[in-house]
Formats: sequence, structure tokens, C-alpha cells
Amino acid sequence: MEKVKSPLGRLSIHLFLILFAIYSLIPFFWTTLQSFKTLRDANSRTPIFFFTPTWENYQTLWLRTVPENGALIAYFLMLAIVILICLLLFANYMPVRSSLIYGFVFLGFVAILWGIPRLVEVAKFYEYFINTIIVTVGTVVVSISIGCLAGYSLARYAGYAGVVILIAALGFRALPRLAFILPYYWIGSATNLLDTHLLVILTLVAVNQPFAIWMLRSFFMDIPRELEESAMVDGCNRLTAFLRVIMPIMWPGIVSTALFTLLLAYNEFLLVRLLTQTNWTLPVAISRFTGGEDPRHLTLAAAAAVSATIPIILVILFFQKNLVKGLAAGAVKG
Amino acid sequence: MNRGTFFRFAAPSIIVMSLLMVIPLLMAIWLGMQFMTFANITSPQFVGLRNYIEVLQDPRFWQSFRFTALYAAIVVPAQLVIGFTVALLLDQVSKFIRGIYLSIFLLPFVIVPIVGTLMFKQLFEPSGLMAYLYQTIFDTRFYYSEMSVKALVIIHGIWYVTPFALVTYFAGLQTLSQDLLEAASMDGATRWQKIRHIVLPHVRSLTIFILLISIMDAYRVFDSVFILTQMNPIYKANTIMTYTFQTAVTVQRLGKANAMAILTVVGIMIVLIPFLIQSYKEQLEER
Repeated sequence: MEKVKSPLGRLSIHLFLILFAIYSLIPFFWTTLQSFKTLRDANSRTPIFFFTPTWENYQTLWLRTVPENGALIAYFLMLAIVILICLLLFANYMPVRSSLIYGFVFLGFVAILWGIPRLVEVAKFYEYFINTIIVTVGTVVVSISIGCLAGYSLARYAGYAGVVILIAALGFRALPRLAFILPYYWIGSATNLLDTHLLVILTLVAVNQPFAIWMLRSFFMDIPRELEESAMVDGCNRLTAFLRVIMPIMWPGIVSTALFTLLLAYNEFLLVRLLTQTNWTLPVAISRFTGGEDPRHLTLAAAAAVSATIPIILVILFFQKNLVKGLAAGAVKG
Repeated sequence: MNRGTFFRFAAPSIIVMSLLMVIPLLMAIWLGMQFMTFANITSPQFVGLRNYIEVLQDPRFWQSFRFTALYAAIVVPAQLVIGFTVALLLDQVSKFIRGIYLSIFLLPFVIVPIVGTLMFKQLFEPSGLMAYLYQTIFDTRFYYSEMSVKALVIIHGIWYVTPFALVTYFAGLQTLSQDLLEAASMDGATRWQKIRHIVLPHVRSLTIFILLISIMDAYRVFDSVFILTQMNPIYKANTIMTYTFQTAVTVQRLGKANAMAILTVVGIMIVLIPFLIQSYKEQLEER
């Protein structure tokens, strides 16, 4: 559409968009404020907007005891994280191979996550955070690797079976998760896998698979067949052509799909709630903060909610374009 | 690609899906025919179709069905209208600002649903911002009742799902044919006429897609109701999913809950099958 020209028209468009942004953000804004208040301020009947912020809620949430040299440890960790992120951002400009740098950054983050409980006494919430990371990473890795193979073959195979599988996957994607989860519970208790990461990851992979193969397939369809055909003439077989020629140019599509898979695993509540008793992920742990009789839960819940949202905000900031593209392209197909 | 290679490539995915989706679904039908609690989970007792009949005669099941339908009837149209309007306006601003707006607008949709609901709920706690505004405007305290909890679930639903319609419409607007719009301008069409006769027909298929997805999503609302009602039955705000969950976990009637899930699947399939048949035909043509 051509743009509105009149200044009054433009002004009202911006005004409306700003109002809509406020409407989208107001719960985040309020909860963040609440999370930095003392319990007394947070429970005030007239909202308080100006107060001296306190880290107390976050400390109670994450730490069992506050260490004496806490500030020093915090600065050290921040520094390490900033260095790792910078390495990640500028990996392409370094004189070393970028895959080496990615590997190093990954190991660095693992080392930090492993090291924190050894430096300070952490509370249960940290454990749930680690569980969430394990489940999310596991789900993304398994889901994308088997999804790529299937998505690629579905994009290239013209036979009848491919269509049947695609349509069946579409149907399964629309079904309520509860229809599968109750049998999962039964399977879990029969195989003694309840409350393990393995069961949660496997079931999340299954739940995510229909979406992943549709989306990856639509990205593979955009890659011209001639590429792997010429590679196969040059002596590659199907698998090596796929790994060496197709996969390197598939990265944007893989990132988009991985992003939605990550969100699915990170956000899942019902499945984890039913299949675990102690090894919770963040959504289940946070749901425990609501409805408790303990009045302290008001600010603790706010701090927990903000803590769990920060990774998501980072994801949006870095990958906004992929998210929009994924919603528009992959999601349109199913 | 020949058949053998296809199956070799797709095998891991097919195995996972059949082991963890097809078989569980068939199992759910069978488990629905058992009398089963957490106590006798390993030795259930076969009761035939009694669970299915019990669900269909359960007034609370139908109550939760009615609330789910009400939710869908309000949230889905509201999402379409708001999403389309905001997408049109967003199309008017420059590229750079768009990115910022999009990131903000996307937030309610990509955030953990449990956390989003919790944040939403914080606004309506006795000390919350919205509760305060409510009191200043209506001069009565905001309190949780059947009406207000249902309203909260629905308002949260709109807040949570609108970004999906918004982004989809926005992406759709980017593919609008500029020639057609210019031709319309030549003929002196007003902005409103252009929206009515060019933009709306252009996004028709997108609307059907969003409609379908959001009806499916409305069927399975769970997280928000779980947080906002605390699963307290006095609010009568159960959706089909939360009622099934309650039957399974609180009442511990696993067999009945399975039967309920299967009946929901049947209900969804009735809506879904025409669409599946259509996309099956499309796929056959496309290959």
C-alpha cells in the first residue's frame, strides 16, 4: 500500500502503534518493576513506581546463601559471558576457522554453567534452569538432525508415500497434546523412564517432528536439485552430496526451524508437568509460585518470570528476522 | 530420488513419529476402555465403552466444552480484526522502526505461556496495576469471580495470540501486487476501496489459514487457564484440556481422561478432515 501522506494521519498511525506496543509490554513492565521491589512495596494497594530497587528477590530465587565475595564473582562471570558472546558475534572475522570458535564458545558456556554451583551455593531454581537447557538442547539437536533427513527426502521424493506421510504429520500436528501425553505416562511408568530427561526429550522430539519436517521440507524445496545432481555426477553418493553440498547452504532454514523447536521445548508445560516429579523445567517450576498461600511468592514469582524471559528476549533480539520469516513461510504450510 | 533412498533417509523420523505418535494414539483408545487410576496403572480393569459414555453424559465436560467454544468464538475473530488492523498500520511505517515494533509485538507470543500468564496475572493481583485502575474507574475492588476469571482468560487469550495473526498478515501484505494498487489509484479508488477490493481478497487464503490454526489452538488452551484459575472449579472456567487434566491428575481417573482426549480428537478431526483432504490434493498436484 502507498503511504499515508498527511502529517495528522502519520501522527495518528504512530500514536496507535505506540499504544499497541504499550498494550503488548505492560505485563512485562509491571512484573519487572515488581521483581525489584521489597515485599512491602510490592503489596502496596496504590502502585509504587519510584523506589530503591533491590536484588533480594533474585538472590532468594537463585542462591541458597549469598557469598561474601558475591560482587566479585558476579563481575567475573559477566566478563566471561561478554567475552564469549563477542567471540560468537565476530567469529567470521577471526583468523581461525569459525567452527573451532563456535566449539570453544559452546565449551565455555558449559564450563560456566558447570562452574557456578562450585563457586556459590545455588538454590533449586538453578537446577531447573540446567534441566531446561539440557532438555531444550537435546530436543533441538535430535529433532533437527532426524528432521533434516526426513525433510530433505520429502522434498525430493515424488512418490505416493511421501504425500501420505506429510498429510498424516499435518493431522497429528493439529491434535491436542494431551491425547499423546496420557499414554506417554503409561509408557514411562512401564519402562521406568518417568522423571528422566530422556523421556521428556524423546516425547518433545516426537511432538515437534510434524512441524519440523514440514518447515524443513519447504526450505529444502527452495534449493535447486541441480546442485546435488552435479555433485552426484562428480562421484558423491546421495548422503555425501546431502552432507557436503546441500547442508552448508541450508543454514538459514535450519536456524529458523531450530528456533521454533527451541521455543517449543523451552515453553512446554503440560508434557513436562505430567512426565516428571522432580526434574522440572522452568515453566513447571514457575507454575509452583502461583497460587501458593505464601505471600512471599508475589515478588519471587515476578523474579522467576523475569529470569525465564531474559533468554527469550535475547533470542528475539538476535533472531527477529528468522522468527518472522519462519512464521510467514514455514508456519503458513502447517 | 527412488523409493528405497527415500525410506532410508526418512526412517528415523518415521520411526519416532510412529512409535511416539501413532502408537500412543491407538493406545489412548485402548486405555480409554480401562478403569485405571495411578494405583492400578499396571493392572487396569477392562470396562469397554463405559468411559466414553460417561464422558458424553458428564455435564461438567459439556460445561468445559461450552467455555472452550465461547473462548474460540471471541478470541479468534478479535485476533483476526486486531491483527489485520495493526498489520495495515505497521505497513505504513519505515523499515527500521518496523523491526523494533515487530520485536515488541512478537513478545507476548514467543514468551513461555506459563510466564506470560503469570505476568498478566500480576497486573490483577490485589496490588496489581490493573486492579488499581479498575478500582479508580469503577470504584469497586477487583476480585476473582466466575465472570472476572472467564473474562481474564479471554482477554489474556487475545493478548497472547494476536501477534501470530499480525505477523502472518504483515508478511502477506509484503507480497501484495504493487501494479494492481497503482492501477486502482489511477482509476481514483479511495484507500478504503483498495483495502476492500484488493487487500482483503489478497489475504483471503491467509485468513483461512489463521482461522484454522487458531481454532485448533483454542481447542487446546491449557496453560493460561491453569495459572489464572489455579484449577479451582468454582470459577467454572475449565476448558476441555484443563478438565481432561483434572480428571487424570486430580480425580485420578486415567481411563476416563483418555476417553475424553480421544473424543476431543474425534471432534477436531471433524473440523480438520476437509482441510486435510484439500491439502492432500494440493500436494498430489504439486509433486
